[in-house]
Amino acid sequence: MEPSWSLPLLSEILSAFSTEDPENLRNVLNRVAESVDAEVAAIICDGRIDWCIGLSAAEQGLLVQTAADEPPELAIRAGRLNTFWASMGSNDRLMVGRLGLAYDLEERSLLRAMARSIQLSLRLLAAISSERQARLDASYQASHDPLTDLPNRTLVLEKLAGWIDNPPQDGDQYTAVLFIDIDRFKWVNDAHGHAAGDEVLVHVSVILKRSVGPNDLVGRLSGDEFIVLTRTPSAQACTDLALRILTAIQTPIQVAGTELSHSASVGICIAEPHDTASSVIENADMAMYEAKALGRGGFALFEPRMRQKAQERLSLEEELRHAVGSGQIEAHLQPIVRLSDGKLMGFEALARWRHPEQGLLSPAIFIAAAEESGLIEQIDLIVLEAACQAVGRWQRLPGLGHLRVSSNLSGRTLGSADLVAHIDPILAASGIKVAQVFLEITETSLVEDIPSTASTIERMRQLGVQLAIDDFGTGYSSLLYLKRFPVGLLKIDRSFVANLGSNPDDEAIARAILSLAKALGVEVVAEGVETTTQQEWLTDLHCAYGQGYLYGRPKPMAAIEADLIKPLGPGTPLLDGQRPAAETIQP
Amino acid sequence: MSEALSWVKVGTSTDGDIATAFQEALAQLDLPGLPKLLVVLAAPRYDLGAVAKGLAQSLPGCPVIGCSSSGEIGPTGALTHALVLWALGGSGVRVSTGLGETNGQGLRQAASQAAQCLNQVERRDHTVLMLLSDGLGGDQMEVVRGAYDVAHAEVPLVGGCAGDYLAMKQTQQLHGERVMTGAVVAAAISSDRPLGVGVSHGWTPVSEPMQVTGSKDTLLSSLDDRPALDVYLEFFQPAPEVQQDAKAFADFAATHPIGIRRRDKIEMRHITGFDAASRSLITVAEVPQGALAFLTEGDFQSVLGAAADSCQAAIEALGGSEPVGLLLFDCVSRRSVFSEARVQEETDLITSCTGGVPMGGFYTYGEIARTKGAGGFHNQTLVTLAIG
Repeated sequence: MEPSWSLPLLSEILSAFSTEDPENLRNVLNRVAESVDAEVAAIICDGRIDWCIGLSAAEQGLLVQTAADEPPELAIRAGRLNTFWASMGSNDRLMVGRLGLAYDLEERSLLRAMARSIQLSLRLLAAISSERQARLDASYQASHDPLTDLPNRTLVLEKLAGWIDNPPQDGDQYTAVLFIDIDRFKWVNDAHGHAAGDEVLVHVSVILKRSVGPNDLVGRLSGDEFIVLTRTPSAQACTDLALRILTAIQTPIQVAGTELSHSASVGICIAEPHDTASSVIENADMAMYEAKALGRGGFALFEPRMRQKAQERLSLEEELRHAVGSGQIEAHLQPIVRLSDGKLMGFEALARWRHPEQGLLSPAIFIAAAEESGLIEQIDLIVLEAACQAVGRWQRLPGLGHLRVSSNLSGRTLGSADLVAHIDPILAASGIKVAQVFLEITETSLVEDIPSTASTIERMRQLGVQLAIDDFGTGYSSLLYLKRFPVGLLKIDRSFVANLGSNPDDEAIARAILSLAKALGVEVVAEGVETTTQQEWLTDLHCAYGQGYLYGRPKPMAAIEADLIKPLGPGTPLLDGQRPAAETIQP
Repeated sequence: MSEALSWVKVGTSTDGDIATAFQEALAQLDLPGLPKLLVVLAAPRYDLGAVAKGLAQSLPGCPVIGCSSSGEIGPTGALTHALVLWALGGSGVRVSTGLGETNGQGLRQAASQAAQCLNQVERRDHTVLMLLSDGLGGDQMEVVRGAYDVAHAEVPLVGGCAGDYLAMKQTQQLHGERVMTGAVVAAAISSDRPLGVGVSHGWTPVSEPMQVTGSKDTLLSSLDDRPALDVYLEFFQPAPEVQQDAKAFADFAATHPIGIRRRDKIEMRHITGFDAASRSLITVAEVPQGALAFLTEGDFQSVLGAAADSCQAAIEALGGSEPVGLLLFDCVSRRSVFSEARVQEETDLITSCTGGVPMGGFYTYGEIARTKGAGGFHNQTLVTLAIG
């Protein structure tokens, strides 16, 4: 026997929900209407129509106006609709309208059951879709950087691996990676705070997205490191893209109320078929490193020799870390004399690395690695501590109380938040006269004028130490900084001193620095004095102090004590041990 | 003499040469004025684009829609491999045409897009929306639903699916001079005089009712939890070649459609083929999962009788006005029931019912007729549009 006609129609409605096909959902009202040959079906919720078929916009307006009363009939252009209203939960109602014929009992039962089915199905679907959305969100979050919304390292590696494994069919396209690193990003963070740094990162992410093609992928690896994956017909096309990116990034932006100019360095690597995703990114990173070394704001294409270079750099860094921890870093002292009479006035402390195999290494070999790895902060403090201890002791000898010491602080050390907390106990323990301690910094460190540096300098001034500006005249000089900070000493760069007596321009500069220092009441030390001619010139120009091979090379403390301190008359040596033999420093 | 409020003219040709066929059909039209709409119904052997170009030159400015067919109907009855030009005009007639393509969107959206011509036509007292779609382009229920989203309860829908003489490979639709596949073309016809739609099929269930337990879009996979193809073949026990050859199967299935139980009728679904791997039947429109289905068979007399019912219903819908012309959307499977030898009997019966008013039409892969309710896609059915 054929079952009741309405049962399979209800089954159809339930089936419509058995898949999550959105078209099926969209059709559900059509199915309801079709099941009873009705012209109109609508879902009405809180005085508005959520879904409707069969009525024009004007007729839907009429339905909304009268819906609260659930009228049994509704006049529309096509005629008089017999309506049936079925509840779909507390707020929603299903309205089905048919022209002419009223609904019989079976139809009303069917429609009620359908309304209930729709309600339950919608709830179920909402629950399912919200769970699915949560899963999608979680997967999105796991693969995207929350700040810039760019794919993160995981996704970039995954996509790149896919690109390498599935090269383009035409064979004329190569997969290339651009590794983009913002130059001096740490400075932005320090100078303007992390919020400003974040703004720059978002800005760069937008620029990258605008610069690349529709099929390229932009990702953020970490910090200020971005990646562009692209398919390129040639290395030239790739370097063109790098140039476009570099130009766009250089446009100044407004961040935290200031106009900020910044640059980036780009490393490019074109993937070979046997490469892995991480090796390609590593290669691009090395090329980026090369671009930075060539002077920021540029790009470099990966070459295999860079890997060797990077390995050397890494192993140097590792060795240096070991050296710092095992006492291989020493302070050597170079004398500073009064030019008028040659009297020893003090020393500049300089870092040397006593390498167990290679002998004594000069800073030229390890300073870049020290800066890069951050080890420079420890090295600066090691040198300062050793110098203060020695000079502090010598100051207590009769007739040597006037001795001064200068020690270098790198920009990175100066930016360290707890620098003063480290310096203070060093000074106290050494018993040195604090006013005779000069901390040498470069002009660039000052010009950067970052809030944390300014506050560090202020606190050092409170300690009583003085600042010396190293290599004066070679950087971005500003009188403002000389006035603003407690600068007690300027050191004329050796490049000007070298040409005294032969280059009138350098003589003019030296003269200008000296008269500036005089006007500001700041003392001057000329660096790199090697000849008596230079000494005479400087004396004539009324330069007070000099430092250079003419007066002595940097030497270990024991040698200094033996050669310079002892002859001045102290009875007992202050440093233990033998005077070391003459040494050769590795270039 | 002033132009009649409405008129219909039909021209046909079966000449194998496209240029000759076009000129012959055009000459037969004997137009009293520029038509408001020209419907081109052409066997696949004719280049629809060339016909459209000819019309643009001969009747510049005349709106044109059309499609490829699986058999044609002219004033003299059923035709084979023919070109039919059906022209509608009159001072009381207004027409606007539209098209929607499925590129990047669903069939429902494409149909809605085509139906937007309803919002452009100058509305007179009586309006219908005529649709011609691609019968091989997906679930044709969606065409009705998409058009209904624009037409609402007020405007009846009528039309049919383009065919390709049961090759089941590709059909074409025409709008202006543009020939497309996978598209829906439409004409909103509004007239001072009545327009009537009639629909009837005459098919009868032969099997016990079964529940549709697996179905999605146009793939009917199971009936009563058994593979639909197995159920179908076991029941009808057709000749062995039907079970192996796609063309033989299509011919057989044309006279053995699926019926779906609706509230007070059986709705037919034409079977176009099968998928041997999944043991599924392929239909021209969805057989809804959960529905109650029957296997049906065409009976010559009842199918023939339905033709008269459809025409009479369309003419009765004119409310006493005399018809000036008919447009017929006749299912290709009905033609198979009648067979080529007796296909003329159906059109003779129509002619006798309508008193010889100009008629044209085509054999379709599915018919559209919505005059009540929200649904209106049919198969194995004759849909008649009577122009009052």
